[in-house]
Amino acid sequence: MVFSKLFFVYLFLPLCLVIYWLARGTNNKNTVLILFSLIFYAWGEPVYILLMLLSAVVNYAAGLGIEKYRGRKTASLITALAVIYDLLMLGIFKYSGFIAENLNAFFSLSLPVPDIRLPIGISFYTFQTISYVIDVSWEDVAAQKRFKNFLLYVSLFPQLVAGPIVRYSTIEQEIQERHASAEDIAYGLNRLILGLSKKVLLANQLSVIADAALGNVGGATAFGAWYGAAVYALQIYFDFSGYSDIAIGLGRIFGFHFDENFRHPFVCKDITEFWQRWHISLSTFFRDYLLYVPIFGKRRKYGGLFLVWLCTGIWHGANWNFILWGLYYGFFVFFEMQLGKKRVKKIPALLRHLYSKPVIVIGFAIFYFEDLGQLGSFFRTAFGFGGHGIFGVQDAISLHNNCFLLIAAVLCSLPLIEGIKKLGEKAAPVRYISHFAAIPAAAVLLLLSSIMLVDATTNPFLYFRF
Amino acid sequence: MAEKKKKAPASSKGMKVIAVFNIIVILAVLFAAAAALVILPRETVSTEENRTLTKFPEFSLSSYLSGDYTEGIAEYYDDTVPHRSDIKSIISTYILPLKGVKYGEDSIEIYGNVPAKPKQEPAATEPPATEPAVTETTGTGTAPAETTTVPVTTLPDSNEPAAEGEISDGIVVVNGRGIMLYGGAGGMDKSYADCMANYRKELGKDINIWSMVIPTSVSFYMPENYLSLTASEKDDLDSIAKLLKGVTPVDVYTPLLAHKNENIYARTDHHWSALGAFYAAQEFAKQAGVPFAPIEEYEKNTIRGYVGTLYGYTKSADLLNNPENFVYYRPKADIDGKLTVTKYDEWFTDPTEYSLLNDPTKMDKSQMYLTYGTDELITHVETGVKNGRILVVFKDSYGNALLPFLTSSFEHIYMCDIRYFKPNAMYFCQQQKATDVLFALSIYSAVGGNQECLNRILYQW
Repeated sequence: MVFSKLFFVYLFLPLCLVIYWLARGTNNKNTVLILFSLIFYAWGEPVYILLMLLSAVVNYAAGLGIEKYRGRKTASLITALAVIYDLLMLGIFKYSGFIAENLNAFFSLSLPVPDIRLPIGISFYTFQTISYVIDVSWEDVAAQKRFKNFLLYVSLFPQLVAGPIVRYSTIEQEIQERHASAEDIAYGLNRLILGLSKKVLLANQLSVIADAALGNVGGATAFGAWYGAAVYALQIYFDFSGYSDIAIGLGRIFGFHFDENFRHPFVCKDITEFWQRWHISLSTFFRDYLLYVPIFGKRRKYGGLFLVWLCTGIWHGANWNFILWGLYYGFFVFFEMQLGKKRVKKIPALLRHLYSKPVIVIGFAIFYFEDLGQLGSFFRTAFGFGGHGIFGVQDAISLHNNCFLLIAAVLCSLPLIEGIKKLGEKAAPVRYISHFAAIPAAAVLLLLSSIMLVDATTNPFLYFRF
Repeated sequence: MAEKKKKAPASSKGMKVIAVFNIIVILAVLFAAAAALVILPRETVSTEENRTLTKFPEFSLSSYLSGDYTEGIAEYYDDTVPHRSDIKSIISTYILPLKGVKYGEDSIEIYGNVPAKPKQEPAATEPPATEPAVTETTGTGTAPAETTTVPVTTLPDSNEPAAEGEISDGIVVVNGRGIMLYGGAGGMDKSYADCMANYRKELGKDINIWSMVIPTSVSFYMPENYLSLTASEKDDLDSIAKLLKGVTPVDVYTPLLAHKNENIYARTDHHWSALGAFYAAQEFAKQAGVPFAPIEEYEKNTIRGYVGTLYGYTKSADLLNNPENFVYYRPKADIDGKLTVTKYDEWFTDPTEYSLLNDPTKMDKSQMYLTYGTDELITHVETGVKNGRILVVFKDSYGNALLPFLTSSFEHIYMCDIRYFKPNAMYFCQQQKATDVLFALSIYSAVGGNQECLNRILYQW
């Protein structure tokens, strides 16, 4: 099921809220959440739900086993087996076709290429279970004794299919006991509406511009190529951060406090900072569990970095452009690392922006073009070798036709709400006024988004395919 | 490790009151809209999109296991929203215009992709453009509904595969007119000519073969400032005319250009108008040496409120809120009951008596072009003209509008849509003792995806 559907907003969600609020006690509320989460997942994956349930069983048992044999080699063995199982499932269902295709291509083999449909959300819930098993092994969290509670952690529908990747430690206490105050519920509802609006009012509309500019990039002007990629960057940001907002908002309505997944990434001054602000739950996952894996010996700092960015790329999709995308960012992070934090910070902010923004925009072009031939065409066009000039009348028309949308998108990518919040912390009147003003704003945004959903019957979130 | 959550600052009583009010307002909107969506009657047809809306799926174990059943329910729920047309009209009129402003004196807006076209200054070493006329979106971005590349068919509710290639996915609305941007033949002018040569070879020398490739409104109504957005249809028409061997080109561009100040193309639809078809038929009759009735001999009918297919593609408020007149002409012979019209299925079986024209007053406002008939049926008209000339027309939906104006010229007329025609074309022409074969195709069909239909029907058995 997709959040950006009337079916979810106006049927599934109201039913879930009513029954959840009617249930008394955390245990009963958890039962309601599990049932709705399973319905939510089975709605799109009536068969693959078994895979998700199996993953929950295996990792739950692994957690218990690790705790039972703590201090012995058996615990490490169980950890390794559970992680291998998780990665194997991910490998089979996400990468087997890609691997077979490339083995055939590179070694002139004729291996059968499995045609396996990607189970929705497998990349997200698998990373959650991996983090749980490792955290239990590292004694950062205690193993969950009740399967029901663990199943809730794995299947919780707000973040099940497209993140954020919630660590068990983040909601460990809240699974067992939580309370959603009026402020929590109001915040959650408004955040949910904000996310829905980002997706429906911004991302969906920006996608029209990006597809128009990049869809025939061979016929675009140099400006058109850069413009298309920049708009696509904004589109992806509002699409994915919109989903995270909905997840965080839903979580808060139910009393869960998920960590932020985006912190206005486009205000970053360098690429390292960009990744501290973009898809934070993925970056921190790799930082915590992969960066210092001791498989590169003395060179583990650089080896780990390479591995992190390779994995970041391939996590996004079984395609070479994603691998290229990951390594591309890895290169710039490495470059900044070599320069040194202090030296980078001494560079004037304007220069750092002038460096980082084109790098980011090109990064999203790499992300857009799964066809490497088209990507080559993009580069030719973007750097003035496309044969269609620098700026054309179609660019002028598009800029005019979408000027208010583009301005709104740029403004919304800046931390304006956070600015108001900070002001509110200092001055009570600002706090009251802003919270009060948020009510009609949220109502209008909900209505506007709902109206626009009538016009967007098939528009899944992009990160669904990861 | 993941960041630990921060404790929210202790809330004051005032903040709590605001929060409760916030919850009440949002839940009131949420539950009121939810109740409305459940209680109010659901829509079944979208006239502006020319399609039946999603039906509630039928349950089967296989459809359930594949996820199609449950997704189908969600799709049904979203697609059949009560007052859907009104809501879409609100979107077009009030919401989408907020995105920006129109450009230039001509108030131009672009929808979808500007198609790839020949480069501005082609260098000698550059390879020729290979993009087909109808462009496709590549990459991974989501394509929203308003820029869909799904082609238009003039067939509502048909279970047939969708007709391909009649419409570009790049459309501009300029001066209140929707215009499709043309991507260029990209070499398919040559393959069209080759295909015509194959028809000549198979049909033999004793039959007249005519090629009428019909330009679209971009050739006549695109302001000069924006010609760089589109390839030249005229160049490709000229190229086709030069390449044709053994098949006579019917130049309809020239007479249409001469009448561009008249309503020869619909403003809101991707088709031409009856008047445009009249001038084309006149040119064809002149070349074919057959009689032709002047326009005064037809009964002119005007229906108000026509908003054609291009609105469905663009959601342009300019098109929606500026409907045009749908004008059609009824031949005198039809009024006098002298025409015998028989329609057959796509296999040329199951004959049924029909009227020459459908009644547009009984149609939805976006579908009035169906006045000239639907595409999948083969139409035979016995005109009462006694000149021994028997015409088989292989056409796309553009060809439909020609039929009324040919009834004074040929003894028998067979209208066959290349996308649905199932018999062998050569055998069919021989069986009907055709003296003339006319290919009446929009340029999008001639040098686009529908070209393969021309090859298919020549060799299929």
